[in-house]
Amino acid sequence: MSAVVGPDVGGITRMSQPTTTASSAAERITTRNRRRQERAAEGPRFAHESEAELARILDFYRVRWEYEPRTFPVLWNLDGQVVESFSPDFYLPDVDLWVELTTLRQSLVRKKNRKLRRMRELYPMVRLKLFYARDFRALMLKYGRLELAGSFIGIDGQVMPGAGIGRVGASTPDVARSDPAAPAADDDLDP
Amino acid sequence: MRTPHLVDDIAEVLVSEDQLRHKVAELGARLSADYASRPLTLVSVLKGSLPFMADLMRAITIPLTLDLMEVSSYGGAVTQTSGLVRILKDLSASIEGKDVVIVEDIIDTGLTLNYLMRYLRGKNPQSLKICALLDKPARRLVDIDIDYRGFSIPDRFVIGYGLDYAEFYRNLPFIGVLRPEVYGAS
Repeated sequence: MSAVVGPDVGGITRMSQPTTTASSAAERITTRNRRRQERAAEGPRFAHESEAELARILDFYRVRWEYEPRTFPVLWNLDGQVVESFSPDFYLPDVDLWVELTTLRQSLVRKKNRKLRRMRELYPMVRLKLFYARDFRALMLKYGRLELAGSFIGIDGQVMPGAGIGRVGASTPDVARSDPAAPAADDDLDP
Repeated sequence: MRTPHLVDDIAEVLVSEDQLRHKVAELGARLSADYASRPLTLVSVLKGSLPFMADLMRAITIPLTLDLMEVSSYGGAVTQTSGLVRILKDLSASIEGKDVVIVEDIIDTGLTLNYLMRYLRGKNPQSLKICALLDKPARRLVDIDIDYRGFSIPDRFVIGYGLDYAEFYRNLPFIGVLRPEVYGAS
């Protein structure tokens, strides 16, 4: 059996044996990379139109962003399992700031506020900015897009599961959460 | 949009003419002292900063030069064609090696100024500082160090003294709060 030239990894060409196992692993990696490239090409699937609009604003001003790149556990049961977690909508790496958009009506944000309090207690070094519905409306007003503001607020701008809102041009190549195995229990999926 | 009314559309006066005059004089005195030994270049960002710039430069008692810039804003006509912020009017002269102060009317998200600072730093000034008449920190997305701050204001929609809504109200001599019903909110 002759050696073949393996994949180019970080500029170093490795030699490997063409075994069945290696071939399967390579196929899996290729498939995974292809999926990642496809995701990058189409951009993240936003849960709410307001998130897509903020992404467009950040793109306009050339501020790099990542969409829900990390999930923070905020509550565990007695067995140590995570029962509640929080995924801020955006991370702005250049300014080290997390941004959460809450376009729900003010009366409905109690649960999210509780999570935010926990988040700030547990992760005091994480800089998190919360945008309420009124803040987002004011932002739209500033940019002369008030006619859109109403449709961005509350359930009107929400997307049915599996039908996320794409965007034009992704800021980051891979928008998957950094820890795919992170618990989804009571994860923050509301807008 | 209905016809704007310069009196009826104002919910309240947030910063009066008198307060503006005193604050501008104070900022002018500070800038005059800080730049006493070196020539100063003021860069104003159109259009909102014009009244502030006009008053501030006359409150500064040291030699200075002046330049103007204009940057496209999200949601404007240019947005739809380019999709990216653009310099609509660039500096008229080089700022390389100069001491520059950006004169801004208001800083809220900080997005425009963040872009502008990066752009101007690329032109290698000796120093680059910010003088902002109004600071609305509740709305901040990008941290900005404001070297000369006029007023820190609450999270209200303000107009006047250069600030507009749909290009109107810039000529008010004070900073006012616009009635929500004017922009369609109750």
